[in-house]
Amino acid sequence: MIQFTNVDKRYEDGHDALKQVSFSLSRGEMAFLTGHSGAGKSTLLKLIMLMERATKGQIVVGGQNLARIPARQIPYFRRHIGVVFQNHRLLFDRTIFDNVALPLEVAGANPRDIGKRVRAALDKVGLLSKEKLTPIQLSGGEQQRVGIARAVINKPPVLLADEPTGNLDPELSGEIMRLFEQFNQVGVTVLIASHDLALIHDMRHRVIELDQGRIQERPAMETPHG
Amino acid sequence: MAKAKPEAPKPRNSGAAPTKQANELQSYLDNHRKVFRSTWQSQSRSPLASLFTCSVIGIALVLPVLLALLLSNLQAVNLGWDGSAQITLFFEDNIDQQTAQDWSKQLEKRANIAAVEFIDKDRALAEFSAAMEMSTTLDYLDGNPLPHSVLVTPHASLKSLADLQALEQQLAQYDLIASSMLDVLWLQRLQALAAFMERSVWLIATMLALAVILILGNTIRLAIESRREEIIVLKLVGGTNAFVCRPFLYMGCFFGLGGSLIAILLSQVIIALLNAPIRALAQSYQSQYELSGLGFESTLFVLVTGLVLGWLGAWLAVRRHLTEIEPN
Repeated sequence: MIQFTNVDKRYEDGHDALKQVSFSLSRGEMAFLTGHSGAGKSTLLKLIMLMERATKGQIVVGGQNLARIPARQIPYFRRHIGVVFQNHRLLFDRTIFDNVALPLEVAGANPRDIGKRVRAALDKVGLLSKEKLTPIQLSGGEQQRVGIARAVINKPPVLLADEPTGNLDPELSGEIMRLFEQFNQVGVTVLIASHDLALIHDMRHRVIELDQGRIQERPAMETPHG
Repeated sequence: MAKAKPEAPKPRNSGAAPTKQANELQSYLDNHRKVFRSTWQSQSRSPLASLFTCSVIGIALVLPVLLALLLSNLQAVNLGWDGSAQITLFFEDNIDQQTAQDWSKQLEKRANIAAVEFIDKDRALAEFSAAMEMSTTLDYLDGNPLPHSVLVTPHASLKSLADLQALEQQLAQYDLIASSMLDVLWLQRLQALAAFMERSVWLIATMLALAVILILGNTIRLAIESRREEIIVLKLVGGTNAFVCRPFLYMGCFFGLGGSLIAILLSQVIIALLNAPIRALAQSYQSQYELSGLGFESTLFVLVTGLVLGWLGAWLAVRRHLTEIEPN
């Protein structure tokens, strides 16, 4: 589903964020992307959703070579990738319902379907009763669940998350991660960037470690941190 | 391992195939309606700020509107000169009064001449000396130096200067006519003035249209800046540029339309205020005249112009600033 082949990313200021990165993630696989801050986790995710372009190498997502997607096609491509951010990126002047409905509206979904699908997604993350509230009225964990509902509303084949539990306590973090697992169980390919090694260890999924822009992959069970 | 399945990222045809296009159209229209409503709501949430912006546009638009109105009123005067142009034909000295008078009578039968007034040389002298109050001076002249003349009033169907000039030329060609005079200097001056005003109107209108575009461009730029986070989120979830632009284009149209409404209102008020002194002026000339305001077509034109300028200003701002805002 996601395949990197010898990918380099050098920013305009000369900083090499990724060096010779090669890995692949099969359809329906779930993996964690770890590493110190600045190791290149966010850059890797940005490359997948075309927020950045690779300097060298090839990235194929869902059979599409990203280098061949022109700028004006990027919005259509992004509709097939769900993304969850550490800071949620919710719109605070809109209701929870409207926030979750955003990807559907953007994609021009049938207005009659929107209500049904938004409620289904909110139900999935356990926030059905809060659709009329605004994000400011929710706790951090709830806000993140709204972010997840928004990311999956389009039923994307790929779900990316950048430090989705970064601001949450361990218990809430566990809940959020289990939510990702549920989506993975119905066939969604999930890639989560996180430095919460304890949590990752418990989850027993594949771990891709980045160190100064290079891949240090190791089997899930060997994670030494406790 | 990654399977190179080309269909994976393509749009899903989740809906029933035959109604898909209808759905998309409905969704598209729905989005327009929503954007229109939310634009209206967000503007009415800050009515004073919106009114200020619209007023700036309105004041910028009202000046060319007023000038154009004055111009069209002037041109109406031009068209309605109403037979006040006259051609004076002076006979040769050797033509006697009877011949001149008979010839003048013949002129009256022409279709393009409304009236003919023969003035013999004695009457001309009497009128001249009366007008000049110098009868005593004229008494010293031996004989009457003035020729017989005839005052020709062209038919009212001859409206343009060119028509009048053609008639004058035609009449002056007769052998018994020494010279001719077309009394349309004021008409010529008016036409020159109108031409000057017309160009001024266009120049000023162009300048102010540019000003409107710049003002709106700046207003929209600020709006874009204040909604940066929203734009980024929309782009992240797959919003096309057209989708992201839409609210701002609506905002531009809204301001443009509001501005032209204010311009129309202001111009009607100003015309009403000007009409009182103009009526007094006309009365002093034993005439009735008043400025006419904007007609239906002109009102529509001003509204459409405002709309287009608003859209253009917004489009320029959007093109310049919206593409710069990319998630990172």
